[in-house]
Amino acid sequence: MKKYLVALSIAALTVFTAACGSDDNSADAGELSGSVSIDGSGTVYPLMSRIADEFMTIEDVSVEVGRAGTSAGMQKYVVGETDFSNASRPIKDEEVAELDANEIESKEFKVALDGLTLVINPENDWATELTEEEVKTMFVTGNIKDDDKVLWSDIRPEWPAEEINFYGPNENHGTYEFFVDVIIEKQDLVAGINLQQEYSTLVSLVSDDKNGIAFFGFGYYVNNDDKLKAVSIDFGNGPVAPSLETIGEDGPYANFTRPVFTNLNLDAAKEKPQVKAFAEYIFSTGAADFAGETGFAPLPDEELAEALEFVQNLK
Amino acid sequence: MKELALNSNEKTTQKQYMNLAKVNRRMTARLLINNVVKYLFFASTMFGLVILAFLMYQIFSDGLGWLSMDFLTNRLSTLPERAGIIGAITGTVWLMFIVGPVTMVLGIGTAIYLEEYAKKGKFHSFIQTNITNLAGVPSIVFGLLGLTIFVRMFGFGPSIIAGGLTMALLVLPIVVVASQEAIRAVPSYLREASYGMGATKWQTIKNIVLPASIAGILTGVILALSRAIGETAPLVAIGIPALIVPIPSSITDNFTVLPMQIYYWTIDSVLVDEYASMAAATIIVLLAVLFLMNSVAIIIRNKFQKRY
Repeated sequence: MKKYLVALSIAALTVFTAACGSDDNSADAGELSGSVSIDGSGTVYPLMSRIADEFMTIEDVSVEVGRAGTSAGMQKYVVGETDFSNASRPIKDEEVAELDANEIESKEFKVALDGLTLVINPENDWATELTEEEVKTMFVTGNIKDDDKVLWSDIRPEWPAEEINFYGPNENHGTYEFFVDVIIEKQDLVAGINLQQEYSTLVSLVSDDKNGIAFFGFGYYVNNDDKLKAVSIDFGNGPVAPSLETIGEDGPYANFTRPVFTNLNLDAAKEKPQVKAFAEYIFSTGAADFAGETGFAPLPDEELAEALEFVQNLK
Repeated sequence: MKELALNSNEKTTQKQYMNLAKVNRRMTARLLINNVVKYLFFASTMFGLVILAFLMYQIFSDGLGWLSMDFLTNRLSTLPERAGIIGAITGTVWLMFIVGPVTMVLGIGTAIYLEEYAKKGKFHSFIQTNITNLAGVPSIVFGLLGLTIFVRMFGFGPSIIAGGLTMALLVLPIVVVASQEAIRAVPSYLREASYGMGATKWQTIKNIVLPASIAGILTGVILALSRAIGETAPLVAIGIPALIVPIPSSITDNFTVLPMQIYYWTIDSVLVDEYASMAAATIIVLLAVLFLMNSVAIIIRNKFQKRY
């Protein structure tokens, strides 16, 4: 019985390996082969995975895209484990120092533009417009009330006297860093704000909470506009709703817009033709074609052309 | 009946008989409690079943529509209409090819040593306690162990060999304990007869103990395998990429498995609505595989158990 089982499993293993091996050789479309490994920001993931998906229909290359988060992705990138590292914030000085220490040549590229969007429950029919100043005030601790139990009526007297419930992504997210560093200028967030790891959790929390308000990337709003309502922001020239047009470079929503990045390991791009080819594909076709579909505004053509030229000249 | 109740309530002093009304009251109360308790236990049993039925209904009504030959044989993609789970299925099979042999060799080896060779003493009970404790260690801890040792130190990356060895460590205690029980269940007169014929310890183990306990051991191995292919946390820890399209073809390839696919699609369903149904369809596939494996385990156990 035992011998029989051993023989059987060896036979199965052989057949299986053979089957997989032959499958691998048959697909011989392009000249390129091998793999490209990408990790990093969860915000950039939808765009980068869409580009990778399309690239793989053209070339016989395996592009593996992870989304451990901007900082977690960087930890892998600085020791050379990945070829690209997506980021929803600029690279930090200590990360640059680590790259230098490991003698890795790296360059940061903008990939697309993301509009920070404030979302409320569809039943909330009052706070559909907020001024930039109101946003900057209401999310900071102690600004309105000492105990941070802020009512809608504290912001505008005609609104209901019900307590606001604040939500947002947690410290692992580049979106959090952007909101705290840029929008509320490094002041402390209101006490009791509910910070979450997953955007899916934020979507379901606000869609169930009439008094909820949350912030995250535009892409996560457009795919859920049946469950959430986006707040129009008044930057001084009347309220502007976030949309692919308004969040673009120099658009009326630009104050709440930020670029998202990818970092490219230049040594990998020089050594591995498939890495260089994928980088070229991002800036020649991918970033422009798939930004809108995944909820980003495309970068201006000149910026993409510049990036493409840089990559093409890598030797 | 009333007489009996009367007697059982009798106190030491003969004269303090209870009157009939009081007895009847107590009787009713006792019977009432009996019934209440009975329905309480019935309700606890049904609670789990009803939740399970509800869950099953949700999954099947959501996922059955997505199950098709294309879904099973297509590679992964970000576009729902192009996406399939052949990569995850292949990854799951590969994982079993690592976890199976590794746990069998290490697990059965440990069990034979502990049951047949090791002297029962402090050292023996120390190992035994540790194996039992190991079975209770949270799976994420094994994931971090795998990340440190196999992915980083050995430089395997998030490959099949790294994932497989991590999972093998995770389920090893299950195989050890099941094999020990199976070996212990082999009657000692069989061993003694073998020794009586002049057989060595190894000959006895090889010819008598293992053939007699193989059913129990295999049951343990299969249950361990089904645990291994359903686990997600250790693989999240070792960093399986969310998008990995090619089908793995060797143990050094990066890979994904069915539960990882379920995990990513469920979370990403805020981006693309169809992902929720695709996750449900993948759950159906995983449930089918697990059901099949557990059935095989039960069949093996029932068929070979009563040989002595």
